[in-house]
Amino acid sequence: MVEKIRLDGVTYAYGKTPVLQELSLGLQPSKFYGVVGPNGAGKSTLLKLMDGYLDPQQGVITLNDRPLQSYSLRELAQEVALIPQHSHYFPFTVEEMVLLGRTPFYTRLGQPSAKDVQLAQEAMQVTEVAHLAGRLVSDLSGGERQRVTLARAFAQHTKVLLLDEPTTHLDLEHQINTCQLLQKRAQEGVTCLAVLHDLNLVANFCDYVFVLGRGSLVKEGPPTDVFTPELIQKVFHVSVPSLLHPVTGRPVIVP
Amino acid sequence: MRPMKGSIALVSLITIAAIVVATALGSVPIPLGHVLGMLASRIPGIRDFVQGDWSVAREVIVLQVRLPRVLLALVVGGGLSVAGVLFQGSLRNPLADPYIIGVSSGASLGATLGLLFFIPQGLAGFGSLPLFAFAGAMLATWIVSRLGQSRGRLDPTSLILAGVAVGAALTAVVSLLMVLKIQNLTDVYLWLMGSLSGRGWKHLAVATPYVFAGVVLALWQAKDLNVYLLGEEAAHSLGIDVQNLQRWVLVLGSLMAAACVSVSGVIGFVGLMVPHALRLIFGAEHRRLILHSLWVGALFLLVADTLARTVLSPTELPVGIITAFVGGPFFIYLMKRGSGYHG
Repeated sequence: MVEKIRLDGVTYAYGKTPVLQELSLGLQPSKFYGVVGPNGAGKSTLLKLMDGYLDPQQGVITLNDRPLQSYSLRELAQEVALIPQHSHYFPFTVEEMVLLGRTPFYTRLGQPSAKDVQLAQEAMQVTEVAHLAGRLVSDLSGGERQRVTLARAFAQHTKVLLLDEPTTHLDLEHQINTCQLLQKRAQEGVTCLAVLHDLNLVANFCDYVFVLGRGSLVKEGPPTDVFTPELIQKVFHVSVPSLLHPVTGRPVIVP
Repeated sequence: MRPMKGSIALVSLITIAAIVVATALGSVPIPLGHVLGMLASRIPGIRDFVQGDWSVAREVIVLQVRLPRVLLALVVGGGLSVAGVLFQGSLRNPLADPYIIGVSSGASLGATLGLLFFIPQGLAGFGSLPLFAFAGAMLATWIVSRLGQSRGRLDPTSLILAGVAVGAALTAVVSLLMVLKIQNLTDVYLWLMGSLSGRGWKHLAVATPYVFAGVVLALWQAKDLNVYLLGEEAAHSLGIDVQNLQRWVLVLGSLMAAACVSVSGVIGFVGLMVPHALRLIFGAEHRRLILHSLWVGALFLLVADTLARTVLSPTELPVGIITAFVGGPFFIYLMKRGSGYHG
């Protein structure tokens, strides 16, 4: 099957501290990928590399079989959307903020087109922030802000969605909603990749998991194959029993 | 677009009215009709219809003393405010002002050196003073922007810290010079407090091109600045060249601030307060923020300067005292009004 994004022997270091070492992996369209691993494993760095924010010191990253560096920033923004781990919230209205997701599609002095506005509206509806449209983002709760950020990335309407801990501030209902939305996007052909700390969300919703430990890939595969008690012990130093969900048959990770 | 045109017409009208009223006010009050007549007498096509029954002395007061000063207040107020928008935006810090990366301390040192060693005493020498101040401001900005980089990238936090450190060092040199050369102290002191007193058409000609070009280029960057507020990674993922934007906007803001400071001295508070207050009221969208800051900043400084030269007339107050005195409480009111702002 065609690969949307491919990393080959990618190495990245901040100064002299290596973060990722000779990492190789491929992402296909129409799949929801989870990235898990302990703190400092290089998960966020992996996302920044895939979005071209950081350039690898060694190795090659390709998007649609074309080196990532050969894309202009604007071309790249039309292909890949990233939700970083930390966002800043200035007094934009929710609608203004979501419309910023359409920036790569209109010119410097231009205005968003009717299509841009419509895509922003749809994104606000599916993420359940449409009723907040006129409110200031800076006045919202942490969870609401996070959904606005998700709406912004959805409005960008790219073939690749990279999300760094998109569920951190969300209540249980919205954690599940977010994962279902990403699942749905994947079914529509988008390559979704999310860094998640909740292994049960990954086990439940992701099609495929990458487990990172200290800058290299420890294991990859469907959650059922990957989340074994041995692996959890090895990577997270927590011993868990081998449990499967009685209804879905997917692994359940509890100490 | 209609409401936009309407508000531009309204703003122009208010500004013209403010110019006429401010020009009429002063230690020698001049009737509004005379001011209008004198202004009209300079406009080709209209001048033939104006019958002047005022004295030459009054015409000199209006056209050579007050009018350039009034216009300069508008240019400096607008310029400092838009520069404030640029620094607050590019450093993503709502407490940044146009002087945060060393423009004011650099300009102060340049001006002090000029006043103490190169320029003859008294108002006659004020002509070359802007050059000294401008050179000092640019030098300080250059040093700070070199120091404010880490791993080849401009870093807002390093930049602010470098600005504070360089500012402190340069201010110390200014103080040292003042202690060593006491005889010219009044000139230096008045300049440091910021004032539009005694400024004429020449000063207006120095500052206006920078402010005008600065505002146009700031509007050109407005869309990118909006996206940049989301954070560097998010801006990158939306197609913005973050490094390039930061450099551009800092250069632009520094040039505007330096041009203003070089003709007016260090007028505080306008460039911090006006953009911040307008962001609290109208939100962070930059095109709106730049345009609102331009005219609110301009009118604010005009009102402050008019008060500065009329409140204790014939004694003049440094305008910086008025901006802080009026601006401080208003700012507190806005903060307490509780429009949400969590940086």
